[in-house]
Amino acid sequence: MAERVFITGMGLITAIGDNVMENLRSLRLQQAGIGYTRHIDTIHKEVLPVAEVRHSTEQLAVMAGVPVLGYTRTTLLGLIAMKEALQSAGLTEADMPGTGLVNASTVGGMCDTEKVYYDIIDPNKHGEFLDYIDTLDCADCTQRIADTVGIGAHIATISTACSSSANALMYGARLIKHGMLDTAICGGTEALTRFTINGFNSLKNIDKAHCKPFDQHRNGLNLGEGAAYLVLESESQVKRRGAVVLAELSGYCNANEAFHPTAPSPEGDGAYAAMKNALAMSGRSVDEVQYINVHGTATLNNDASEGKALLRLFGDKVPMFSSTKPFTGHTLAAAGAIEAIFSVLAIREQVVFPNLNFSEKMEEAGVTPETRLLEQYPVTNVISNSFGFGGNNASLVISKYE
Amino acid sequence: MSNNRCYIQGSAAISAQPTFEGDFFSLPMIVTEANNLVAVEPDYKAFIPPNSLRRMSRLLKMGLTAALKAVQNSGQPSPDVIITGTGKGSLSDTEKFIRDIVEYQERALNPTPFIQSTYNSVNGLIALQQKSTGYNNTFVHRGFSFENALLDSMLQLAEGEVKRTLTGCFEEMTAEHFYIKSRIGFWKEADTGNAQLFDRNTPGSISGEGSTFFMLGDERTENTEACIKGMKMLYKPSAEALERGLKDFLDKHDVGIGDIDLVISGRNGDANTDHYYRILFSANCPATPEVPFKQLCGEHDTAGAFAVWLAAQILKQQQLPVSLQAFVANPPKAFRRILIYNHFIGEQHTFFLLEHV
Repeated sequence: MAERVFITGMGLITAIGDNVMENLRSLRLQQAGIGYTRHIDTIHKEVLPVAEVRHSTEQLAVMAGVPVLGYTRTTLLGLIAMKEALQSAGLTEADMPGTGLVNASTVGGMCDTEKVYYDIIDPNKHGEFLDYIDTLDCADCTQRIADTVGIGAHIATISTACSSSANALMYGARLIKHGMLDTAICGGTEALTRFTINGFNSLKNIDKAHCKPFDQHRNGLNLGEGAAYLVLESESQVKRRGAVVLAELSGYCNANEAFHPTAPSPEGDGAYAAMKNALAMSGRSVDEVQYINVHGTATLNNDASEGKALLRLFGDKVPMFSSTKPFTGHTLAAAGAIEAIFSVLAIREQVVFPNLNFSEKMEEAGVTPETRLLEQYPVTNVISNSFGFGGNNASLVISKYE
Repeated sequence: MSNNRCYIQGSAAISAQPTFEGDFFSLPMIVTEANNLVAVEPDYKAFIPPNSLRRMSRLLKMGLTAALKAVQNSGQPSPDVIITGTGKGSLSDTEKFIRDIVEYQERALNPTPFIQSTYNSVNGLIALQQKSTGYNNTFVHRGFSFENALLDSMLQLAEGEVKRTLTGCFEEMTAEHFYIKSRIGFWKEADTGNAQLFDRNTPGSISGEGSTFFMLGDERTENTEACIKGMKMLYKPSAEALERGLKDFLDKHDVGIGDIDLVISGRNGDANTDHYYRILFSANCPATPEVPFKQLCGEHDTAGAFAVWLAAQILKQQQLPVSLQAFVANPPKAFRRILIYNHFIGEQHTFFLLEHV
């Protein structure tokens, strides 16, 4: 269990950019990716803003270098992020058979199957849509991605709602610590769907305006789409390969609230436990955390609960924190990995990203997110939070490589 | 990690056979004419209060009930950790929400099917009911769903901070999903039923469903049924990789073929994929008694868990259930070790090794 786990590569695609560099540029320019959908057929298209990746599914297939037929948008987003992650880590085809993949997804290929579902269940209909018949489950995207790049050592898909890819990173890190893998690529992929837009809307959780995390007048989240993968490697593998280390995954914790099927506890019990235990595992104290990339969905419940957890853990010394969801939207299964990459960027670039759209502190928890872009800010330890339905709470601690 | 102890301290299975209540060991197999095996659902009222029961869809009831019964059967307090696997989650809720969106034109939708379609909703309910605030995870990867949940649980026990994990799976089949899968050749075309599953040599299998849960712990307790020695997953292996995989697996656990008293195989009567079992067994363990299990529970993403449950019961009872006796001409005197080999549609292959305690 002594092996440390390092991050040696990363790739992502979101509404604010097709790769890590473009995402970083948008974060610095404070350019949000929220707008109206161009790709989804829904009555909410001009009412509920979303953070959609601007390319059509056909364009994504070209970018991913695969034929479009049979590949869902979920898979294509994932493949684009995967290829960047591999390149960034300097991993080649020869490394793939020994590499594992832990992917995350909340609704698999729903984005494509929901469009043809009534044809699929109609015995009189035949056509190309039949190529999508087995893409609805969450394993389809994982296996298509693994098969395209040749990953063979271990394969898994996790679905714990909005904490899915944080849990994927944790599971990958543990497989490495147990000596089962030297290299694990972990993350998640999520495409916008009419299914999830209507799901969150039926829960009255979507804001008709740009989301306002941690603000007194917050009124819900904006959904987003994207994919992100981080390459995790054991310390000994890093030495063998001479890999460049971007950061260390120094701590993590998954805790359940056991409070309510969809709502967090008012005192933030799960968030508090997840952050506290992840930090303890990293061996860092509360004073050594310079930045928290909060879950901050801008729903009434999440932010109040997460805000209280911050106060419980840090008292009157809450570190700089921000939610980057006003940039990318809430990308559900991909959120944990996207924000883990933003956390690595905060360390690498010595920067704190701003929490957009904030103007007034919440009554329920008096904490103020950082609203400015802070450059040349000394960041060595970041906590990244991902909380979800079913009481699933996950926190990661990402630390500067020393 | 595989050398650490992982004991099945209690278990429960809801399946197409009388495995949850009733005397599964002495009763004949429940036979079906159609190509879908439907789970025998227990009376949920004994486990779930009526006001909760009304709101819950079928798979949630099945999953939660099997989980609670496994805890009960273990005689142990609440688990520290809850880890599950499901290939498809609550299909009826997913289908309902897709339909509702169209039927109500995206207006005034009831969120319940959306919430219950979330793959980790059963885990959330179990945690809530058991007040388990520890690690909680849900794997959703076809024939590696339960298998990753079991691996995660074994890692948790090896990490030494938890004493007990509640580990299981749940799967349901709906008429609509049965039809969808029939369009890509999952099921046999002619009505075959489970009694003739292995007699036809035709493509496809028969569907199944159910929920299996285990209380796993690092200590042998009074109710302990068996010990899980290890597991190995192989993704889309070549014939050579599969054969090497079996040898490596047995070597790692210091077990020879002669030490295996029984092989439980995932044969499902599909002429396209049953050769994996035939080739592997004839080359490696031609003399070891073999029993298949999918005539009992049907083919589904998490059928592997049913095989683990079955192996544990055989090791505990030291006999074969009546429904399986016809497969073995000369049963071994004692059941000390059972090897399970299962694959799902030829993609996810798994070996499990269980031992008598």
